[in-house]
Amino acid sequence: MTSQTTIHLTINGHDHSLEIEPRVTLLDALRDRLDLTGTKKGCDQGQCGACTVHVDGERVLACLTLAAQVEGRAITTIEGLAQEDGTLHVVQAAFLQQDAFQCGYCTPGQIMSAVACIREGHAGSDEEIREYMAGNLCRCGAYPHIVAAVRQAALEVAS
Amino acid sequence: MRDFSYLRATSPDAAREAAALPGAMLLAGGTTLIDLAKCGVAEPEALVDISHLKGLDTIEVGEHGASLGALAKMSQVAGHDGIKSQFPAVSEALWQAASAQIRNMASIGGNLMQRTRCPYFRDPANFSACNKREPGSGCSAIGGVTRGHAVLGTGGACIAMYPGDLAVALVAFDAAVHLGERQLPVDDFFLLPGSTPDKEHAIRPGEMITAISIPASAAARRSTYLKVRDRQSYEFAAASAAVGIELEADGRTIRDLRVALGGVATKPWRAWAVEEALRGKVLEEDAVRRASLLAVEGAVDHGANHYKIELAPRVVARAILKTGAIA
Amino acid sequence: MTIHDLRTRHGDASDGNADQVGGRLSRVDGPAKITGAAKYAVEQQLEGLAHAVLVESTVPAGKVHAIDTAAAERAPGVLLVLTPDTIPPLKTASDWFGTPPPDVPYCPLARDIAFSGQHVAAVVAESFEQAVAAAALVKVSYDEAPAIADLSDAKAGDGIPIDMMTKEWGEAEAAFAAAPVRICAAYNTPREYQAPMEPHGLIAVWQGDRLTVWEPSQWLDGMARTYAEWFAIPFENVRLVSPYIGGGFGSKALALSHGAVAASAAKMLGRPVRLVMSRPQTFTGYGGRAATRQTVTLGADRDGKIQSIVHRGVNETSMDGMWVEPLGSVTSIMYATPNFSSKQNVVRVNSVVPGAMRAPGENPSAFGIESAIDELAYEVGIDPLEIRLRNYAEQDPHARKAWSTRQLREAFAAGAETFGWSKRSAQPRSMRDGNQLIGWGVAAGTYPVRRAYGEALVRILADGTVEVESSSIDMGQGTYTILAQTAAESLGVPADNVVVKLGDSRFARAGVTGGSRLAGIMTGAVHKAAGAALDQLVGLAISDPRSPFHALQANTLVVSAGRIASPRGDGPEVSIAELLASVGADQIEAKGDTMPANSTAEDRYKAYTTIATPLSHTDGDYSRHSWCAHFIEVRVDEDFGTVRVSRVVSALDSGRLYNPKLAESQWKGGIIMGIGQALLEEGIVDRRHGRIVNNNLADYLVPTNADIPDIEVISVGIPDLHSSVLGGKGVGELAIVGVAPAIANAVFHATGKRVRDLPITLEKLI
Repeated sequence: MTSQTTIHLTINGHDHSLEIEPRVTLLDALRDRLDLTGTKKGCDQGQCGACTVHVDGERVLACLTLAAQVEGRAITTIEGLAQEDGTLHVVQAAFLQQDAFQCGYCTPGQIMSAVACIREGHAGSDEEIREYMAGNLCRCGAYPHIVAAVRQAALEVAS
Repeated sequence: MRDFSYLRATSPDAAREAAALPGAMLLAGGTTLIDLAKCGVAEPEALVDISHLKGLDTIEVGEHGASLGALAKMSQVAGHDGIKSQFPAVSEALWQAASAQIRNMASIGGNLMQRTRCPYFRDPANFSACNKREPGSGCSAIGGVTRGHAVLGTGGACIAMYPGDLAVALVAFDAAVHLGERQLPVDDFFLLPGSTPDKEHAIRPGEMITAISIPASAAARRSTYLKVRDRQSYEFAAASAAVGIELEADGRTIRDLRVALGGVATKPWRAWAVEEALRGKVLEEDAVRRASLLAVEGAVDHGANHYKIELAPRVVARAILKTGAIA
Repeated sequence: MTIHDLRTRHGDASDGNADQVGGRLSRVDGPAKITGAAKYAVEQQLEGLAHAVLVESTVPAGKVHAIDTAAAERAPGVLLVLTPDTIPPLKTASDWFGTPPPDVPYCPLARDIAFSGQHVAAVVAESFEQAVAAAALVKVSYDEAPAIADLSDAKAGDGIPIDMMTKEWGEAEAAFAAAPVRICAAYNTPREYQAPMEPHGLIAVWQGDRLTVWEPSQWLDGMARTYAEWFAIPFENVRLVSPYIGGGFGSKALALSHGAVAASAAKMLGRPVRLVMSRPQTFTGYGGRAATRQTVTLGADRDGKIQSIVHRGVNETSMDGMWVEPLGSVTSIMYATPNFSSKQNVVRVNSVVPGAMRAPGENPSAFGIESAIDELAYEVGIDPLEIRLRNYAEQDPHARKAWSTRQLREAFAAGAETFGWSKRSAQPRSMRDGNQLIGWGVAAGTYPVRRAYGEALVRILADGTVEVESSSIDMGQGTYTILAQTAAESLGVPADNVVVKLGDSRFARAGVTGGSRLAGIMTGAVHKAAGAALDQLVGLAISDPRSPFHALQANTLVVSAGRIASPRGDGPEVSIAELLASVGADQIEAKGDTMPANSTAEDRYKAYTTIATPLSHTDGDYSRHSWCAHFIEVRVDEDFGTVRVSRVVSALDSGRLYNPKLAESQWKGGIIMGIGQALLEEGIVDRRHGRIVNNNLADYLVPTNADIPDIEVISVGIPDLHSSVLGGKGVGELAIVGVAPAIANAVFHATGKRVRDLPITLEKLI
């Protein structure tokens, strides 16, 4: 039984139509079908946060989300964060300034998570940032700089 | 993951009807089901997506208590002002669970259906014996790596630990699960493994969790969820406690006490004996520590999880002392 | 005749503008990484890509009895099911020393099972989902044999003595017996895993007898050699591409059997094939850090002066491979002792062959000696910092050579000052905050300066921009950035005008990226290549009749900010682009390498495709090492036994820093991995199944953001020109060394409990 189905996804403001099996996750749809490889696959089982994207503005894990499930919802990936003219989102700029990454593989997920963390109001203190960014593992150990970047971006967003 | 068909439910009744078909399962946040499907533990033939149903995600908090729609997200409940003020332990249990992303996905109803993290249960390719997966096949965990396994509520068929946090707080405050028309105390919703560890919940085919209700109480208003784990965050509990206290007007005598344990038992574990021992007593440290030992009465370890028997009463004691504001 | 001024400045970590070596330039690969534009190896979108999924053994020892592939072959989308019987045999490849291999076929899918998780079959399908589903349908039966699960297994025995690890001087046993103070303890570290966030995998494509492999790699040339040997094609026919690497930590240096499987499948199908390990497969698909055991005995006099060190170590290796984790490496150099003995065995167990993980050898070695000296400090009643200074090794006690540079005393001083060590109360359990016991610990770390060779190509383009090409890689250490800075400084152009291209084996060659050697090698190679390019540029400017400088008859010119002028400022000033246009040159290109001048092609091949390097860190008159001192505060909950690190101050001597901003990041990363090692990380073996059961990131715990406090790092290094061309020593491996013992020592100070088995989990403290 292979049941291809047509789904329509709205990603970074653009509509996409896909012929896929219902079991295809949002993560594999992005990476394997839409060439949106900025969203990373680190564990594929909800344990690392590398695949964090926004669905209707909320951060979620693309690896545990079926593509079919988010039909009709607004999906934002790392590729859709900067402005069309290339101007970086304040969180992206802060990550660069603070050197909040090394290998870069967890970075899109960290940034998507950080944008949501600030929007949720969970960037009020370093302790709160650490807790609310704990769902994004970084094996290079950029954590102190990630905290600094989120702190900096939160201040910029507030002002 | 095996192939399956996908159906988006348009109403609760349609969802129940579709889910009653053989091989069909309800899909809400997907954080348990999709994960287990990838592990090869869940093998649905059809998924009935209820995550788009309207009206099942309301959170209401009033003078009689709280009503949580089954599709409310963990993060929504955790951050709800009424929950934070009337049921702090519920909010704390939620925000200390999983990660921010998972809490944005997982529904409250689905959270109750969360399954054990037993590594033997989760790896059918390598460990064929698992009574929870395959009744009668045996238990790979007994005699194996047991650091994360239960010490309470176990039996010869299964020692898998219930990993959740929310239900621990719900059990402490006498919450009820609403299954459409029927409702059950959360404590009765979760089943002990006994000889049928594959049956974890008292839910019947064709039933769907629609809401959770928590009665208001003074103990719930003064409550805490304390979670102890190896890692500071994004980890299941080594031991946890949901505690609520109501003091007499003297400010030191315990009128009502609620204690439930997480991370140590095969289901959310109400520590009735601790409550009995301290009710009517003056809240003071020695008595609390002595009584907290009753939390693990009857506990059985399997080697590497022995520490839980030492740890759990300490977590209970600290939670009581903290909630009573004398720690 | 000097025909140009090199404006290279050798200074400390704070010097330099961002465009120069030593400056704090932000990562030049950063914009690609923060926008999602950086395409990692397996993210190439190729026409006709097929997807392979591995099937692993579920028993730790025995033979594959039969493989039933019928259901998998019938499954939708399946293109190919590979088993030991259907995969074409390959040639055995040489090892990483370049040792000629035995002339026997190599089968990357196993018939004889040496560990649970060994690849026994693979399924290739049109889609990833189909391949995963079909792989689950492959049924393998085994004739199981008894296995040795781990070091604790009763059948494991004492292992094989590794004589080359023996280090002895003086009369260690006798001096220990005669010493007035004696410490003897056993220290154990478990299996640990690199767990890079990017799982291992590759895309393989054949065009005729030419193979292209997109694979995250710490060593393009070495892996290309292995692929070439497996498939019996010329080295030049293999192209490895690895533009970004999502973390390696030692685990991505070698071509492994899964690569052979994917490349075989691609060849059989005539299509590109992608194979990526699942996260659980990464725990058995290659080796993490070997489990180790050490006994450290210290004999000392009553004022804490060490008289003898007797050290015995054991590490796990596999049944079918040999891994030696050098456990006496720090033991033999950290402290002065007149008498010393270190010996090591390896024990074969049924596991995947262990591999390199951040500071292999030095890391567990330091856990032993740096814990033991702490125990000695308490035994004789001397401050743990003071005892380290009392036993300070003024020269390499083993090699008996002067240190090239050793700023360890300075590290102790700077770290102690910033941390406030002098305010420490000596007694264990004497500092607390409510339920939290507070402890302060110190430990030192070191890592040798590994030196080898590298090549770089520098190209000045007609528009005045510069390209740097090298087959070396950047997995987060900052290679792209520091090579841009090096070229910019050497050529006198803004770093913005330099494009660094890495990660393609078609580029100028480089050896393995490991052992913290790459930065020192490659800055040297780029410096040399850029110098040669600048010579050409200035030479053209001076001598070409069409040049505006021709009439000046200068014997030197300076290039600064991309503009050429005479040193005295007389005469014209033109941009590089204008000069090249005036003389009609399209580009200038120069290659530079750090090989001896008379090197043959064979020397070069060996230098870049093997680790058989002649450059020992104790070559010549000096012993070359990086050094560090960690000062760590822990808080231990007295009821729960949970340990949280609350403060870290580390002072480190990596010599000159090429880019302090990036070096600090790497140091902190090493410290954070060390916190994980100390408190969380352990591969847990089910002895009955000979299998790691916590093979995922929820159960193999690495630190989260919430586990990590602010970390302060202080550079105390000075340029060390014995270690590298531009004066740097190693950065990446160093900082993890000594973190775990500093934490264990802090835990002892907090609780009075000495934990000698990592990780320090709560049940060891309640």
